[in-house]
Amino acid sequence: MTLFHFGNCFALAYFPYFITYKCSGLSEYNAFWRCVQAGATYLFVQLCKMLFLATFFPTWEGGVGAYDFVGEFMKATVDLADLLGLHLVMSRNAGKGEYKIMVAAMGWATAELVMSRCLPLWVGARGIEFDWKYIQMSFDSNISLVHYIATASVVWMFTRYDLPKSFRLPVTVLLALCVYKAFLMELFVHVFLLGSWTVLLVKAVLTGAISLCSLFLFVTLVHSN
Amino acid sequence: MFEEASEVFDNMFKSSFPLTFIVFIPAVLILVSPLPAEASHEFTVYRMQQYDLQGQPYGTRNAILNTEARTVEAEVLSRRCVIMRLADFSYDKYQKALRQSAGAVVIILPRNMSAMPQDIVQQFMELEPEMLATETIVPVYFAMEDDELLSIYTQTLTSSSSQGSLSAAEVLLHTATANGFQMVTSGAQSKAVSDWAITSLEGRLAGVGGEDLPTIVVVAHYDSFGVAPWLSYGADSNGSGVSMLLELARLFSKLYTYKRTHAAYNLLFFLSGGGKFNYQGTKRWLEDNLDHTDSSLLQDNVAFVLCLDTLGNGDSLHLHVSKPPKEGTPQYSLLKELEAVVASQYPEVKFSMVHKKINLADDMLAWEHERFGIRRLPAFTLSHLPSHRLAQRSSIMDVRPHVDVKKLSRNTKLVAEALARVVYNLTEKQVQDEQLSAVVDWLTAQPRAAQLVDKDSTVVSTLEYHLGRYLKDVKRHYVKADKRDPEFVFYDQLKQTMNAYRVKPAIFDLLLAVCIAAYLGMVYLAIQNFGVLYSVVRRITQPKAKAH
Repeated sequence: MTLFHFGNCFALAYFPYFITYKCSGLSEYNAFWRCVQAGATYLFVQLCKMLFLATFFPTWEGGVGAYDFVGEFMKATVDLADLLGLHLVMSRNAGKGEYKIMVAAMGWATAELVMSRCLPLWVGARGIEFDWKYIQMSFDSNISLVHYIATASVVWMFTRYDLPKSFRLPVTVLLALCVYKAFLMELFVHVFLLGSWTVLLVKAVLTGAISLCSLFLFVTLVHSN
Repeated sequence: MFEEASEVFDNMFKSSFPLTFIVFIPAVLILVSPLPAEASHEFTVYRMQQYDLQGQPYGTRNAILNTEARTVEAEVLSRRCVIMRLADFSYDKYQKALRQSAGAVVIILPRNMSAMPQDIVQQFMELEPEMLATETIVPVYFAMEDDELLSIYTQTLTSSSSQGSLSAAEVLLHTATANGFQMVTSGAQSKAVSDWAITSLEGRLAGVGGEDLPTIVVVAHYDSFGVAPWLSYGADSNGSGVSMLLELARLFSKLYTYKRTHAAYNLLFFLSGGGKFNYQGTKRWLEDNLDHTDSSLLQDNVAFVLCLDTLGNGDSLHLHVSKPPKEGTPQYSLLKELEAVVASQYPEVKFSMVHKKINLADDMLAWEHERFGIRRLPAFTLSHLPSHRLAQRSSIMDVRPHVDVKKLSRNTKLVAEALARVVYNLTEKQVQDEQLSAVVDWLTAQPRAAQLVDKDSTVVSTLEYHLGRYLKDVKRHYVKADKRDPEFVFYDQLKQTMNAYRVKPAIFDLLLAVCIAAYLGMVYLAIQNFGVLYSVVRRITQPKAKAH
């Protein structure tokens, strides 16, 4: 298993990022450093979120089977800070909409990949015991890449001053969906008791739907004038 | 010849008168004199009890009878002797006979009483005390049945029962010609016997080991009781008790002959008389020993008094006490030993202690131990009967077949064993099941392989402590293997933790790599051709925008 498996998972997780970076033309803009900056912002935002959660939210003292809907909902609401962070990154970058979006999303997603997935992979995938969860984790990182691109574009659209009135509502809805996607996923798992691969599938479908909608809106917005 | 005879007679009549008298008178006298009465049948009858106890009279008061026989079915019973068979006996018929002031009652008992059905026997047993309790002036007799008596009975029965059902002419004929029976007794009227002495016997085995040894008294009353004294055989009550006492005396005397089995207890055996009459023998013996003698075994250290009463049958044993024994007393140890012997050697026997307080207001004391209890001596009675009121204790039906020798022997062995344990102080010297099972439980609760038990282990120290409780000079001894030529070498790592990991074969990794490569290729293509998707979307949205 071990190292080879680790290599498999790492490649599965990291390659799409690499490809996206290369092929989206960001390398021509020397956006590497900006991506790193976006990553740093991600770290900062996560730290603030954690402090906030630890201070204001009590520990869940319920039974094992029960699910604290309200509590988790509140916690998910804190993820709005993510949006703020993305906005901050995008506002500091001058350039076209797509450039901003891509830089923010790439940096953000890569930071997340490094922080939350590299360590488990290194420790777990190298062990003797085989578990499918590492492969799933790598797939999940792919999905979150797409998710962050969609989120960044929706945030960008939201902050546009020339956003038509009719777009306000769908954009807001999409924004909400982006923020609460994790919460919704957990809800699904709890209510329908889905298996791990099914969860991945549902996540992929959901993210695909969100990103498609946001793409539509983006195209319409950009080419409407 | 006749002519000569007539000539003689003629001469006699013609001659002097006195001569004729001399010839005739003996003849006349012989003819006229009362013949010795030859009874049609002669048989022995046994009268019902007649006694006074503590001033209260019991039983029948009369002994003579000379009346005509009838059976119960007859209409007129007064001044007649009523004959009844045991098989047809009932208390109502008896009462009817008494109410109609019969002259006497004769009850015919079958020769083989154990062949009678049980319910009749039981019923009669229960009726005996009632018959005795009502004082009757009428004499009541019991007779053993034989063929003649049976035929007398049947003839009387037919004549008695047919009296009511005949026509007047037949009655007249009957009265004139019927065959009746007259019952007559040969003796005189009953009177009180003066100076009747009730005898009791005592004997002892002295213990060894100095003065003031504790005494154990074993008591059984040898007399019997029933509705008729001559028919009271008292097989179980208390023949069984007496035979058990004699057997115990024999056993213990054999043991006491040898120095090594001579125990430190005095054994006193007492066969009391008058037991059925409120234990008169015991009462007087106690008074003599405790009040009128200076020193007696009963005054000093009495461990306990064991009374034996009715032990010849049944599968249960009851120890009747007037006060439950306290812990630490010899009576308590006897109780415990009886329970232990029953539990370990005779599990079919049901043993229990029955507690009944002495009620001094009763006419009669319940069991013999109460006499001792009144004089403050610790006593109990062992019996297979659960209650003193049972009719089996005072019935003429208590004959030899009532005693099962096997059960009597088993009970004797039981009592002998329990007494021996108390007398030789073997209380905790039996193998104790609980001890064995506790030690085995503890030993099997942990592994004791030689490699695991080092010198500080709990097994060794607990064993050391255990030995130290009973033995002196408990020491430890160690053995280590020789350095150069060891007899034994032990190895460690005897307990490990093992993990089981789920693995996939190596080919799987390769396969996965191939799949991932394919997937990544697809992703690459997708990203490269993202522009296509973009233009498609644009085309979809553009007609809407450009439509006017």
